Amino acid sequence: MSEARRIRLLQVASVLAVLAVWEASARAGWVDPLFVAPPSVVARAFGAIGGAALIALGDTLAKTAVAYTLAVGLGVPAGLMIGSVRAVHDVVHPFVVALYGIPKILVLPWIVLLLGFGTAPAVAYGAIHGLFPILVLVIGGVRDVDPALITVARSYGARPWQIYWKVILPASVPSVLASLRLGIVFCLLGVLIVEMFAGVRGMGHVLNALANGFQAAQLFAATALVSAASIGFVLALDALNEKLSHWRG
Amino acid sequence: MTTSAFRLAILSGVLALWEIAARAGNPLLYVPPSAVLPSLVNLVALRSYPDLLEHVLLTAREIAVAYALAVAGGVGVGCALGGHRVLGRAYAPMLAALYAVPAVVWYPSLMLFFGLDAASKIAFGFLLGFFPITLAVLAGTRQVNPHLVTVARSFGASPLAVFAKVLLPGMLFTLVGGLRTGLALAVIGVIVGEVLGAKAGMGTLINHAYGLFRTADYVALVLVTLVLIVTSDVLASLVERRARRWTT
Repeated sequence: MSEARRIRLLQVASVLAVLAVWEASARAGWVDPLFVAPPSVVARAFGAIGGAALIALGDTLAKTAVAYTLAVGLGVPAGLMIGSVRAVHDVVHPFVVALYGIPKILVLPWIVLLLGFGTAPAVAYGAIHGLFPILVLVIGGVRDVDPALITVARSYGARPWQIYWKVILPASVPSVLASLRLGIVFCLLGVLIVEMFAGVRGMGHVLNALANGFQAAQLFAATALVSAASIGFVLALDALNEKLSHWRG
Repeated sequence: MTTSAFRLAILSGVLALWEIAARAGNPLLYVPPSAVLPSLVNLVALRSYPDLLEHVLLTAREIAVAYALAVAGGVGVGCALGGHRVLGRAYAPMLAALYAVPAVVWYPSLMLFFGLDAASKIAFGFLLGFFPITLAVLAGTRQVNPHLVTVARSFGASPLAVFAKVLLPGMLFTLVGGLRTGLALAVIGVIVGEVLGAKAGMGTLINHAYGLFRTADYVALVLVTLVLIVTSDVLASLVERRARRWTT
C-alpha cells in the first residue's frame, strides 16, 4: 500500500473511531445525552433543522459577503498605500498595529448601542474584524518587496504608476491573497459573534437559541453546517490562490 | 521627531473631534473623552463597581488556566505530530481545516456542556490558544535539521534529551512566536466568552454597564480590561526577548 493511501486510511479510521467512541459513550450513559447528543441523533437532527438552518446560513453569509467586500475594498488599497508611501507608513503604522491588537469584542457593545440590533451592527463589526488583519498583512507584504526592484525600475525611468502596476502590485500578490484568505474567516467570525450577542436572525442567533434551549443534537448539526461552509470557502480560496500564483510566474 | 509630532497631532485631533461631536450629538451614546475620566476615577477607586478586583482576578485566573492548558496541549500535540511523519501527514491537514472554522461556532456547544461558570470560558480560551501553538510547534519541528536528531539518537540520547537539547533550541524562535499569539488568542477567547454569557468577570461587567446605558462606566471598564490585556502581552514579550537572547 502506498503511503498516501495509508494516510488517507488513517484519517478515515480515526474520524470513524471518534464517532464510534462518542456514540458508545452517549449510549452507555457516560455523558448526559442532554448535553452531548450521540452522532446518530445529530445525523437525524440535520433533517429537523435543515430548511431553517440553511436560510439562517444564507442570511449570515450574505452579511459576511457585504462585510468582506467592505473590509477588502478598504483594506487592500489602504494597505498598499500605507505600505508604499514611507511618510504615511511611519506616521500611521503604530495606530494600525494598536488597533489590530485591541480585541474587537470590547467595542462590540458600543457598536450595538449605536447601530441597534440586526443586520447593520453585524456588517459593521464583521468588516472591522476583517479589516485590520488584511491591513497588517498587505502593509507587511508591500514593505517586503525587494527595494532593488524598485530602484532598478526607477533608474530605467519608470513612472510612479508603472512602478505600482509592474513592480509593487505583482510582488505583493502573495500577501494580498493571504490576507483575502484570512479576512474571510475573520469577517465570518465577526458576523457570527454579533448574531450571538445581539442577533435576531442568522446562524449565530440560531446556535445561541439552540444552546439556550438545551437542544444539543440540533446545536451540533447547526455547528457542523457552519463549519463545513467555512472550510469550503477557505479551500476554494486556496484553490484560487494556487491558480493565481501561476499568473505571477 | 516630525513623525511623532504628526502622530500626536492625529491622536489629539481624533480626541478633540470626538469630544466636539459627542457633545453636539448624544453624549450618552457617543461618550466624550472628558466624561470617561471621572468614570475611570470612580471605577479605580472602587466606587462604581466595589467588587471590581474580584472580577479582574477571576478573568486573569481564567486566562492563566486556559493558557496553561493551551500550552501543554499545543506543545504535546505539536511534538507528537511533528516527530512522527505519518501522524503528521495524517492529522496536520485536519487540524489546519479545523483552524479555518471561525472558532466562535464552538462556543454555544461549550456553554451548553460546561455551563455559564468559568469552565466554559477556560475551554474556549484553551481552544483559541491551542491552534496557533500547535501549528507553531509543528512548523518548528520541521525547521530542525533532521540529521541533528538522527545523530543525537544514534549517540543514545533519550527522547526527552532529544527534545530538550536538539528540538527545543532549534525551534525556539518559531515556538515563542506561537506562544505569544496563543496567549493573545486565549485572552480574547476568555473575554468573548464572558461577554457572550457569564456570571462574573470583566466581560460580564462590561455587559452590565452597557445594558444599563452606563456608557461612561462601560468605556472605563474597557480601559481597565485593556490594561489587563496589555500587561499580559508585555509579560509575553519580555519572555520572548529573553528566549531570543538565549538562542543567539
